[in-house]
Amino acid sequence: MSTAPGSARRRLAIATLGVLLLVAMVLAVGLGAVNVSPADTISAIARGIRGEQLVQSDAVIWQLRLPRVLLAALVGSALALAGVLYQALFKNPLADPYILGVSSGAGLGATIAFVAAGTSFASRSFGVPVGAFLGALLTIAFVVRLASRAGRADTVSLLLAGVAISYTLSAVTSFLMVVFRNSMQSVVFWMMGGLTSASWQNVWVVSVMFTIGAVVPIFYARELDIMLLGDERAGQLGVNVERFKLIVLAAASLVVAAAVSVSGLIGFVGLMTPHMARLVLGPDHRLLLPASTLAGAIVMVLADLAARTVLAPVEIPVGIVTAVLGGPFFLWLLVRKERR
Amino acid sequence: MNPLQTPRLAFSAAIVGYGGAPIVRGVDLEVAAGSFVGLVGPNGAGKSTLLRSVTGAADLLSGSVTLDGESVARMSAKERARSVGVVPQTLPVAFAFDGRSFVQMGRHPWLGRLQDLTDEDHDIVEEVMELTDTARFAHERVDTLSGGDLQRLTVAQALAQRPRVLLLDEPTSHLDLNHRLQVLDLVRRLADDGMAVLAVFHDLDIAARYSDRIAVVSDGEMIPARPPERALEASVIESVFGVKAVVRTDPVTGTLAITPVVRRADVERPTRGRVGVVCGTGTGAVLMRSLALRGVSVAAGALNCGDVDQAVAVTLGADHIDLPAFGEMAPEAELAVRQRYAGCSCVIVAPTPFGRANVGNLRAALQSGVPLILMGEMSAERDFSGGQATSLWEQAVDGGAVRVGTDAEALDAALGLLRDGSEE
Repeated sequence: MSTAPGSARRRLAIATLGVLLLVAMVLAVGLGAVNVSPADTISAIARGIRGEQLVQSDAVIWQLRLPRVLLAALVGSALALAGVLYQALFKNPLADPYILGVSSGAGLGATIAFVAAGTSFASRSFGVPVGAFLGALLTIAFVVRLASRAGRADTVSLLLAGVAISYTLSAVTSFLMVVFRNSMQSVVFWMMGGLTSASWQNVWVVSVMFTIGAVVPIFYARELDIMLLGDERAGQLGVNVERFKLIVLAAASLVVAAAVSVSGLIGFVGLMTPHMARLVLGPDHRLLLPASTLAGAIVMVLADLAARTVLAPVEIPVGIVTAVLGGPFFLWLLVRKERR
Repeated sequence: MNPLQTPRLAFSAAIVGYGGAPIVRGVDLEVAAGSFVGLVGPNGAGKSTLLRSVTGAADLLSGSVTLDGESVARMSAKERARSVGVVPQTLPVAFAFDGRSFVQMGRHPWLGRLQDLTDEDHDIVEEVMELTDTARFAHERVDTLSGGDLQRLTVAQALAQRPRVLLLDEPTSHLDLNHRLQVLDLVRRLADDGMAVLAVFHDLDIAARYSDRIAVVSDGEMIPARPPERALEASVIESVFGVKAVVRTDPVTGTLAITPVVRRADVERPTRGRVGVVCGTGTGAVLMRSLALRGVSVAAGALNCGDVDQAVAVTLGADHIDLPAFGEMAPEAELAVRQRYAGCSCVIVAPTPFGRANVGNLRAALQSGVPLILMGEMSAERDFSGGQATSLWEQAVDGGAVRVGTDAEALDAALGLLRDGSEE
């Protein structure tokens, strides 16, 4: 396998994934309780963008499906991007925001913010993402600290610490839900991982957080490659390792917080997609970052489509769909790593 | 001061360690442009820690480490990486980059954010891959390469940084004979062209062969760098490594060759009596070493300086009399040897040739009156003493000497006689 992506190859891979994402999104917007053909879907979206009068079927698409699909794409991108960053940073193929406990941390942060913000819509839509970000950042700092011996965090301790912290924080979140059950009905379903409450408001908030968090790593693509040689070697090759880690962890926490604050805990997307991208495209982060981000969006859009159509009209939380696919994938990775 | 004489890399009164705990103290070391300095010492002495303190991976607790007079601690990681290339001992290989991408990472300190490699960068990468004989790995995944190939790619990666200082930690630990010479000859050439090289070695011969000066790290201290023949004197090797070694000049390379003979701890207290050996030209070396390892003290007769057996006797601390090179034995020396042999349980006559210089040892052995063990046969090829040796040999045979063939048989016979002696 050639792993030196020429810029032509890079463009081709990204263009292909971009087209696939568009196709998946058009399909996902069209399918549901009322099915709309792809052609009608596209013209309905076009009408909305041009600001023309909406017909009745357009309202379903424009008010319900489109924000939801966009949000799914954003959440998938965010989780996959965070997965790439964590995997490079910890040189650990099993790292992802869910397994490291970052998602749970963001969830707890969001829940606390939800309780503290009261009923004001404005303070909630602003406070919940901020709470999620702080929760994510504190959690990853704590997990790394717990797992490190003499400045090095080895694979097994990192996963154990992550899982342990994840359970603890989830328990605290559940406890809060019980205590504040009157104001928490919507939180329960949200924490199971779902996009049911998707709105344009969410799309904008998540877009901003995601964009900030996603632009930063692009500037550090080469460092992400070099970090795979180990912290010490990276330092010898001129990477300011401590600063790099801080910046990348902050960026990853921001995108995780963006995802968790609208969709709760969704596992394994951050684990699976970077892996699939790496298997097909090699380890170069200039390619891996955009490719995983696009692939994460595709996976999530399709998973959410499955979540709301398979048992329609009953909707499955999308976290269940990703877990059903991702659990076995994680086991396969673990077994493969052991055998090496 | 002439800028050419400013040390490129300098440690001054440095104490290095980890997390506040010192590992090596009192480090004063200067590596000038164009010089190759070796670091040797026992495992865990802190050689690697010294190297790592240059790149900030180990802590500088006191003193200074400077590059061209500027403190490395004040440099940014990129700035430092433009001056200092490192070849670490081992690299984890859980990554699927191809050889060229791997070497290209060495250009990182010269590139701005989002900047792609320029033509010049590509030329440098080609050049260093050519130099290290790794061009053929350009499209191979590095995680499928052997340790030696990866080590050479790592050298290429470090050279791609275009450093002025090269730090190597056991640079040849994974290399076969051919590539070891290739890599070290390359580094030596780079030093001759102006690179400042500081390299950790386990192999003392290799260190002596390639280094201009060698610093010995031991017991948390550094013995200042000196030319190999002074840095690696037998007494230093014994005190630092606890090994008695023969240090001589290798006739082929003209550099030091260090042959470890025994661990000091194994021969510290001879407890099993004393055996005489008549030897020369290396015929007694194995025997003397075997006896020493079994706790037997050795009397080796008179030996010419420069003789291998003489060097081994000196190293083992065996009782012997030094003769000048090619010098003959005076009657007083023969008397002294006879008295020494007389205090032994037996004397082994190794298959050394006899000339006028050393036939006195054989006569002394015969006249000492202790049992003799004769190795091999006496023949005209062995006797350059005008028949004296042959005649003494025959007397010994007639006197009931034990006849053996090999070193092992001689050793068994001698140990048997020792036991008999101790039972009486």
